Amino acid sequence: MKEIIKLGFILLVITSVAALVLGVTNEVTQGIIQERALEETREALVALLPEADDFEVIDEEEILDRRHIEEVYYGEKDGEIVGYTIKAGPSGYDGKIEMLIGISNEGRITGVKIGDNTETPGLGSKIADASYIDQFLDKPTDEEFITTRGGETGDHYIEAVSGATESSDAVVEGVNAARALFEEILKNR
Amino acid sequence: MKLNRIFTKGLVFDNPVFVQMLGMCPVLAVTNSAMNGLGMGLATTAVLLGSNTVISLIKNFIPSKIRIPSFIVVIATFVTMVGMLMRAYVPTLFAALGIFIPLIVVNCLILARAESFASKSSTIGSIVDGAGMGLGFTAALVVLGVVREWLGAGTIFGQAVMWSSFEPARFMTMPPGAFLALGLLLALFNKITSKDLNEL
Repeated sequence: MKEIIKLGFILLVITSVAALVLGVTNEVTQGIIQERALEETREALVALLPEADDFEVIDEEEILDRRHIEEVYYGEKDGEIVGYTIKAGPSGYDGKIEMLIGISNEGRITGVKIGDNTETPGLGSKIADASYIDQFLDKPTDEEFITTRGGETGDHYIEAVSGATESSDAVVEGVNAARALFEEILKNR
Repeated sequence: MKLNRIFTKGLVFDNPVFVQMLGMCPVLAVTNSAMNGLGMGLATTAVLLGSNTVISLIKNFIPSKIRIPSFIVVIATFVTMVGMLMRAYVPTLFAALGIFIPLIVVNCLILARAESFASKSSTIGSIVDGAGMGLGFTAALVVLGVVREWLGAGTIFGQAVMWSSFEPARFMTMPPGAFLALGLLLALFNKITSKDLNEL
């Protein structure tokens, strides 16, 4: 019995010191980590909707319950809404693809940005390249986007990354989710 | 044992990857680029240095009955600290290595050094052992990362090194390529070191 208490006490000492050290480290790093996360989100929002100078989050169940939609912000300039940035998370070839979609008040895509994803390096990861993702730029949002493997041309056709059809499909699905949200709800607010 | 022997043992003759075959999970998983291999190696080295030092300092205080849980607490503490620091100061590398940073806790190399070396040796010896083993691990990861990135993407540390028409063998950066590259490098390593070992 005495030994068990002694062993328990020694473990308590070791874990207490460990907890103290971790607490201090957390105190030092937490601020930097949070600040960076905020800054990254802000930078991404500004890049997608350069017109706006202030962003507010929209926190409504009707919107956040929609498929693939994770967060929605509206961008303001001089108190007037100029557009929306929508965070979507469709499933790619290997797990979720986080993406941000910017849509202007006039119903045009102002930009798409691919965030965290685990698509195949060198193949699916190319969805983040400008040559693919800039196809969405300035396209009207009133029609579904469709993935093509070459051939069809037109405003709503998006050429897939060769060898990465599933990743490309997922991106188009994500943009379509944001587009539908804008057309069906945000536009009429 | 002399300190330089301890060091070179970890770095080459008893290399954690090429000789002891320890910590294969991160070795295979994160070496899809040279930079990831280097980052993982250095993170592991930092943990190994910290845990070896602390364990050799408190070895007389820990009864042998609870030594394994005590070692795990020390190792887990260092891993969590390294994870927090990387997340704050090198976020891109932290994001690239993902789940494999917290998984350093279960890298058998670190517990093996704690159990078989640091808990029986002087603090200075343990630090040297941690540095040797850690850098040996890092070197192996970097070599593997360089080979896989070079053949699989045509770059080394992100710099293009091949002629422009070079068609990279993509699968070298994917899981099967890890096994292939590791097997070939092991064969090469054995070929080079077999002579030296016989002479010792």
